[in-house]
Amino acid sequence: MLATQSQTDSAQSTRQGLIDCDVHVYPHSADEIRQYMPMPWRKRYRGGGRGFFENPVHGNRLDAAPPNGGPSGSDPDFLREQLLDTFGHSYAILLPNAFCNPHPDPDLGTAIAAAYNDWLADTWLSKYNADGIFKGSITVAHQDPQAAAREIERWTGHPHFIQVMTDSGARAPFGQRQYYPIYEMCEKHNLPFAIHPGTDGMGINIQPSPGYPTHYIEWHTCLSLNFQAHLVSLLTEGVFERFPGFKVVLVEGGVSWLPGLMWRLDAEWKALRPEVPWVTKRPSDYLLDHVRLTSQPLERPENDKQLLAMLEMMDAEHILMFSSDYPHWDFDSPTHAFPKLPNPLHDRIFRQNAAEFYGLS
Amino acid sequence: MGKHVVGCAREIPPGARRIVEAEGRSIGVFNVSGAYYALRNTCPHQQAPLCRGTVTGTNLPSKPGEYIWAREGEIVRCPWHGWEFDITTGYSIFNPHGMRVKSYKVTVEATLPEEDPNVETYTVTVEDELVILYV
Repeated sequence: MLATQSQTDSAQSTRQGLIDCDVHVYPHSADEIRQYMPMPWRKRYRGGGRGFFENPVHGNRLDAAPPNGGPSGSDPDFLREQLLDTFGHSYAILLPNAFCNPHPDPDLGTAIAAAYNDWLADTWLSKYNADGIFKGSITVAHQDPQAAAREIERWTGHPHFIQVMTDSGARAPFGQRQYYPIYEMCEKHNLPFAIHPGTDGMGINIQPSPGYPTHYIEWHTCLSLNFQAHLVSLLTEGVFERFPGFKVVLVEGGVSWLPGLMWRLDAEWKALRPEVPWVTKRPSDYLLDHVRLTSQPLERPENDKQLLAMLEMMDAEHILMFSSDYPHWDFDSPTHAFPKLPNPLHDRIFRQNAAEFYGLS
Repeated sequence: MGKHVVGCAREIPPGARRIVEAEGRSIGVFNVSGAYYALRNTCPHQQAPLCRGTVTGTNLPSKPGEYIWAREGEIVRCPWHGWEFDITTGYSIFNPHGMRVKSYKVTVEATLPEEDPNVETYTVTVEDELVILYV
């Protein structure tokens, strides 16, 4: 496909071990998921989707449609050719979009999550995964944290599930204690908790802006608001004090807001610390041990120096992990999303941070 | 400047496009309402195959609350990030002076320029008109 010389050259430089922390895979149809569901859910499940705030242009890269048919992200051979072989991935971390979190019925949400996990385990994490390049996420429905914890436990010891994932769309900020059964289980099994956009403002989930915005461009831009609120909640509720081994990945939630938000939170904490006395150090001091951000969609100012300065401010060298978001429309190319980065920063972002965080060699 | 036969004009009717390799470059040749245009098949943003994108019209800049759909068939939208480019000029819609894709000259010629050694040969009948790309 992309046969420019510059791309070929830069692909070489990342061939040794690029780890992509946000790749989306899809079943061929709702039936593929349905077969993993017990009754009555098999009969009731209608497939996923947001219902509105659909991208008015296109939701997936148009060239990601598999030549042999099926949805984008459903054909492992084509995905390998178009993404992994083109850019030299060593691992692709898979985050299916199960859309289990907007449902008012927690049992339905839990059943969808379980079916997606069974499907992912049977296909992308085994049948399609002879070389072990694919690592998966255990989908949980946060409507019922106790059931979510049981779902995590069900996959204990699986060689390729390396994290737990849920939508950023929620009814309450993620620092609150109703979620703790999930975090307890994540900590127990050393599985990071990945938060990914998807159902913000959908179904039972609250929209993070004041009311519903009018347009997709507003909704999509403001997805990062939810991530900021979740992060402030996790830090101030003392989640990382209560669960010292618990780790969080903010996937596709934006990057450049982090320094300013942490400056503000740290400043507030100097006066308001006694309101949250369990926060025993500057809130930003918890990030290195507990929080990672993925890069896509990377904000790009006109002046690359400003981006490089921001990466330094946020300690990207230790907490930023590359992600492409393949096959979605706002895919970040491993060779063109970033300006030229100095080493070791490039290696940290594209490989080493994720390798250390997930324990991937 | 090399001349390259893209194909017979009737093979690329209005609304159609053909992506060809010429002098090491991938180039998209578009027929917009009977006129031919050519653009580099590489988006200047992140190098996506631009000419495989959707050919469409667009909403022109307008007053708040007003929609003016126009230029149907004259806009190609990048298949990745959806950036719009004017097929007839290569200029982007959102920043025509700062962001553009290279465009090339295309002509329709009635005769076979057989004497030119740079031209790839196709089997055509004499009544065919050929779309010629200049790179």
